[in-house]
Amino acid sequence: MTAFLGPLDSTGSIPPQQQTRVAAFLVSAHGALARQLAFTLLQPIKAGWQTELNAQFYRESEIVSLLLRATSWVVDPELLMLAASWEAAWLPRPVRGLSDRFLASAIDTAALGHAVHGAIRPAALLPDKALAEDPFVMALRRIEFESGRIIQAQILFLKGQDLLPYRDAVNAAVDERHRQVRDLWDTMLKSIGVEGQAKANDPGSRL
Amino acid sequence: MPYLAHGSYRIRYELEGADDGPIYVLVNGLTQYAELWAGYRSALVARGFGVATFDLLGQGASDKPSLFISQDDQVAALGLLIDQLGRRPVFLGGISFGGLIALRYAIAHSDRLAGLVAMSSFAELSPQLLLLGNALRTGLILGGTSYLQDLLLPMNLSDAWLGPQLGNLEAVKRQGWLTNDVYALQNLMESFLDFKPLTGQLGAITVPTMILNGEFDFLTPRSLHESLRIHIPDSALVIIPRAYHAFTLEKAELTTDLLARFADGVLAGKWKGGKSVWIAPEEAGGPLVPFPSDQDHLRAIPRATEPA
Repeated sequence: MTAFLGPLDSTGSIPPQQQTRVAAFLVSAHGALARQLAFTLLQPIKAGWQTELNAQFYRESEIVSLLLRATSWVVDPELLMLAASWEAAWLPRPVRGLSDRFLASAIDTAALGHAVHGAIRPAALLPDKALAEDPFVMALRRIEFESGRIIQAQILFLKGQDLLPYRDAVNAAVDERHRQVRDLWDTMLKSIGVEGQAKANDPGSRL
Repeated sequence: MPYLAHGSYRIRYELEGADDGPIYVLVNGLTQYAELWAGYRSALVARGFGVATFDLLGQGASDKPSLFISQDDQVAALGLLIDQLGRRPVFLGGISFGGLIALRYAIAHSDRLAGLVAMSSFAELSPQLLLLGNALRTGLILGGTSYLQDLLLPMNLSDAWLGPQLGNLEAVKRQGWLTNDVYALQNLMESFLDFKPLTGQLGAITVPTMILNGEFDFLTPRSLHESLRIHIPDSALVIIPRAYHAFTLEKAELTTDLLARFADGVLAGKWKGGKSVWIAPEEAGGPLVPFPSDQDHLRAIPRATEPA
């Protein structure tokens, strides 16, 4: 088990099996976010932060499109089961402590977006010697870079004045989505021989 | 890897050196992580000190709260670490953001400390520091951790240090980039959104306090350290020649020596703060020289001290 993708093949690329598994996970997560954002676009824009939703929809779609084109895909029979479990995880979840169902749904969607863009760092998986010009390498770097920007809409909404009265419920919802996304991401990484990124969750000695 | 529990969050820490006797607790700057103190651990242990280092909430291998990190939580986490050290003499040192957290701890718990070292620290946000902080946060948001590092490196380190590293900067940045997450750094920066100046509370710091300030510190200039010197009763300001904000990285050997000498002096009863101003030696082991009393230490251009 190593902290990075690889070992690199003879051409200096990430092995296609690893590319396939990582890309499939990211397509599933960002595709789910794109679908959820598509629904919000049906509503009129009333608040400033909602203008971000339009941009976010297209950025999520671009991430999916980029991965579909930049990945060296191989047949991976296990993906059928894995993808089903990932898709189930992205389904809307109730937010404890909130009776307003519309608000709870918006918070959960934002929480999932915060977790996908914050907890997943695909570029941090790249070994030092990964070819900078490799399409898959460039795609992972671009996704991580874009995630740092895309997450800002979720941060503005989740930390905004409107949600201050529900701060505990919002915190709990976001922390829960982070845990869920991290667990799924780490499990997927371990399945391709890569140590997970959630080292802080390692149950080491504790006082 | 040992952890402390602060509520539902975990704080990764490390202890080195003897189980008793004086110990240094070192607090990271905002974009740092505990491994950056590795050289201090070995050098201070060799001089008879224990050393405790840790990752603040939101840093390194400690938990990273997803939305909010309060500075009170950071002080509480530091308190947990100090509490488990027992009754041995504790010297607390912090750099930059870590210096602020150390100051806040010292204001509330001077009785638990034998001494305090505030390095590149501040108790208030001057307009310059506020605007620089805002710009750095925007840089993080727009360009990610790597761009923030690109801004901080030339701001906080000297040409003498940067020159030989120019061809190797990506490697220099890599560990910090791997360790720190954008949203967590942003949360640390946004812990200043409700920041209130500590200046009026500095008088509550009753322990000997050494204030270290790089001669050319651009981010937290002399005036911010002067405020600490004036308001902390048993303090001394030590100016480090040719140093910038991140002198703990650039001048580790000199800084370690200053930390050890300060603690030795306090333990031997020889420390005299007296709100004095000193010039550190260029190299470890050299003499500290009193700043000329007829010159203004707040100016770069030689100017006679203005009458009080």
